[in-house]
Amino acid sequence: MKVSLPYLKSYLLLFLSIPFLIFSSPGSASAADIGNCLLCHKYPGMSRVDEEGKFRLFFINESIFNNGVHAKVKCEGCHTDITEIPHKPAKKVDCLVECHIVEPSSEKKFSHKSVETDLGQSVHGKIDSAGKSKKYANDFPECKDCHDEPLYRPLSFFKKVRPGISEASLGRCRVCHKKDEFIYRFYNHVTTRLHKSRNPINIAEVCARCHNDSQLVERHGLSTKAVFSYGETFHGKAARFLDERIPDCLDCHVNKGESAHQMLSHKNTQASTNDMNRGKICSNIDCHPNASPKLATYNVHAEFNLKQSPAQYFFTVFFIVLTGGTLLPLMGIILLDLIRRFFPNAVIKRRK
Amino acid sequence: MKRYPAIKIKDGKRYFYRFTMNQRIQHIILAWSVVTLVLTGMPLKFSNSAWAPYLYALFGGIKAAPIVHITTGVILLILFVYHIGYLAYVIYKKQILPLKQKEGLSLMKVLIILAKQPLVPNLKDAFDIRDLMKYLFFLTNKRPDGDNFTWKEKFDYWAPFWGMIIIGLSGLIIWNKELATHIVPGWFLNFSLIAHSDEALLAALFLFIWHWYNVHFSISVFPMGTVFLTGYMSEELMAEEHYEHYVKVMKEAGLEHEILPPHGAHAHESSEGGHSA
Repeated sequence: MKVSLPYLKSYLLLFLSIPFLIFSSPGSASAADIGNCLLCHKYPGMSRVDEEGKFRLFFINESIFNNGVHAKVKCEGCHTDITEIPHKPAKKVDCLVECHIVEPSSEKKFSHKSVETDLGQSVHGKIDSAGKSKKYANDFPECKDCHDEPLYRPLSFFKKVRPGISEASLGRCRVCHKKDEFIYRFYNHVTTRLHKSRNPINIAEVCARCHNDSQLVERHGLSTKAVFSYGETFHGKAARFLDERIPDCLDCHVNKGESAHQMLSHKNTQASTNDMNRGKICSNIDCHPNASPKLATYNVHAEFNLKQSPAQYFFTVFFIVLTGGTLLPLMGIILLDLIRRFFPNAVIKRRK
Repeated sequence: MKRYPAIKIKDGKRYFYRFTMNQRIQHIILAWSVVTLVLTGMPLKFSNSAWAPYLYALFGGIKAAPIVHITTGVILLILFVYHIGYLAYVIYKKQILPLKQKEGLSLMKVLIILAKQPLVPNLKDAFDIRDLMKYLFFLTNKRPDGDNFTWKEKFDYWAPFWGMIIIGLSGLIIWNKELATHIVPGWFLNFSLIAHSDEALLAALFLFIWHWYNVHFSISVFPMGTVFLTGYMSEELMAEEHYEHYVKVMKEAGLEHEILPPHGAHAHESSEGGHSA
């Protein structure tokens, strides 16, 4: 079979591009480890027991870190109290510090400071609308209560929706941008924000840290263990089976176009979960577009206890009684039948 | 000669005709669809269990298993509608129409026909249950003489019938929630979900414990009853479970002198499994 020249060229190009693709992958992008912190922190066993007796692991997985959103931030950018090596136990990171990165659209130093304002005004703020500290203020979340080191999860939507980096899309970036390391990082940065970067079950697990805590739920007068009750409906069950299309906590509790930090109490008329707005969430185009607003009276937090939902509670009890009342006598008959067959002609009182 | 005679002899043994080909096909579709629905539904009901993801993965996981579940549910509902139509047709053609031609119809006569259908529970079933209890508690050594359909079989028939209405209706509502909530409020879906899954669990346990014990795992039929495939039941099992009907069929066939004594099955301990009609 004769191989035409254009095909031969393509194969040759593909063969030659393999090392390029391997070595230019985001995993090999150099981190901002100017302080040479990985000299020690690259060792997987690096750990100690702290003053409170907790086991602490200080290992930094370089390849994971280099794929994270903070890969270009110097270690000292967050760990501001570390100025020498070896260093003393570091303080907790303050996520609101100004880091050395320049935000490209404003050319100002970058900071998460504005999130503090949003969070403060949200249902999760420590201060109430009157400016007073809320009861049990320490229960309300800080940055790291919800956020661990976030990873990029790039989306490819070139021809087929499949996870991973689309080389075809990168080709278009290269028309203008020349540095491949920049192209990969910017691609990741943008695409990871074009879709949910976490699985619904992961979002629910984050919220569960507080909202499945029975004592905290009781302390704050919340109506349900939210993640447990989410798991009792199809939404939560599908999330457990890693369905990425299913709504998670944020899809319903955050207004479209706003961030999770601006979540409001359902009593607030501006909240997406307020009785007046709830119908719009269910019937939005991504969920149940043709649904009646009445769908919103569906109890998505199905914790059917006697106090919260007596009707559903007794309805469930009815089926439990029906199941037990049907099966137990029948299983009794099976057992007696098995015994009887060992003594087919035995009788206590003979028939007259 | 009839294609399916009331009594058939194979290898020197008598077999009694019980289910038509149509009924057997209906039953096989019912059995297949129920097992599929249970296998694709229970992992959702018990999604917290360790086994659930593995079982669900066999049906394609969350992307495919719900489609399998819904498709099978629709097939089962179509079967249910067909079965109602089939019943209505058979009763009309074989009982109502001849009566109409013979002496005319009235509502009372139709109701009497319906009440006398072989699967409709009657007073004899209550007495049979009482007599079975006496037998199981060693108060007598006489088993009740079952008719064509015993109270167990009537239970087996009406339990899924009731289940089909509850599970089918609630399943339709959950599946078509957008449409349904134009008629019923959203909280109705919560009740539908409870009814669907709890009634399904009851039905599954009922079928896999009670029904399978009676038709497959009981010592008389173990390891497998074949009447659902062949349509014929062995003489020993007929005498054990349906003695009254057995005597009637034997007399109609002119075999009075060959009728087995009641409950002779204990002496024979024979199985109908493994025979084919």
